[in-house]
Amino acid sequence: MSGLDKFSEKMTRRVARATSRRSLLTLIGGALTGAAVIPVLPVSRAQAQGHGHGGDPVAPQTTGNPQDPGDQTQCDYWRYCAIDGFLCSCCGGTASSCPPGTEMSPITWIGTCLNPADNRSYIVSYNDCCGKSSCGRCLCNRNERDRPMVRPQANNDINWCLGTSSAIYNCSTAVILGVALEQQ
Amino acid sequence: MKWLAASALIVATGAAVTTPAWSGPEAIPGVANPARAKQNWMLSCQGCHRADATGTPQTTPTMAGFVAKFLHVPGGREYLVQVPGVATAALSDADLAEVVNWSLVRFDAANVPADFKPYTAAEVARLRLKPLRTEAMTIRAGMVARFAPEPKQQK
Repeated sequence: MSGLDKFSEKMTRRVARATSRRSLLTLIGGALTGAAVIPVLPVSRAQAQGHGHGGDPVAPQTTGNPQDPGDQTQCDYWRYCAIDGFLCSCCGGTASSCPPGTEMSPITWIGTCLNPADNRSYIVSYNDCCGKSSCGRCLCNRNERDRPMVRPQANNDINWCLGTSSAIYNCSTAVILGVALEQQ
Repeated sequence: MKWLAASALIVATGAAVTTPAWSGPEAIPGVANPARAKQNWMLSCQGCHRADATGTPQTTPTMAGFVAKFLHVPGGREYLVQVPGVATAALSDADLAEVVNWSLVRFDAANVPADFKPYTAAEVARLRLKPLRTEAMTIRAGMVARFAPEPKQQK
């Protein structure tokens, strides 16, 4: 036993002679800094970028038309003022077309949204896309001029997959039908 | 007399502004502003009836080439306003009368009777106080059954 004691004492003393407490602090400090740097690496940043809506990584989609400002994958895009559902722009479609494999409902609810570019109201039809299970990305629920369920023709909580071969809801579009008249 | 000229000018201007919106040869009776009627159609009716009023078999019966036939049968004139979608539309009496008059001519001009008197706001106000509910389907079926001998084609 004494041999083992002597051996470990000898080794400890050798380490103590050869290293300083400062070098130990340097080692620990280096490890801490290294660990802190890992989330700053570009790969990690790309994963954490949520792009605004609940962490759905969808690239921005803009028309480039100054008359149609905004990002169509964002809930605050002007045409979505009364939408309730998943934005088709995030689901493989666009703001006015359905993703492949789904069918656009001909039965819709129609309202008006104010275009910030020209300050005029446009008539917008919220056509649901139907036939595949819920897209689940970019949920957006804005309710300008939405009416309660007793007025079903102006209620956006309803599944508007009517008149389609399937009543399964996938996502929602916002199609411009025309310019609204000036308020009289 | 200046005020008279001014008001005549205003009326003339109003007519000039509203007339071009209707592409047909003449104004629709009982429709003061066709552009407004069309917008109210889009906002309150088109969602279910579709832009061309053909509807959808499962949910919404067709109006195109069909709706004015109700004006030929007893109770049809009342039915067209008392049907739930019309009676409960979020429109004023005047706007509702206008959009009903507009849609009759727009979607079924051929079947509008020659002696048809346009709906007025007062008539619509009276009729929509008693909207049809679940019985609407039965009443409609009874009227449609009476369409069969078409008076227009008999002549």
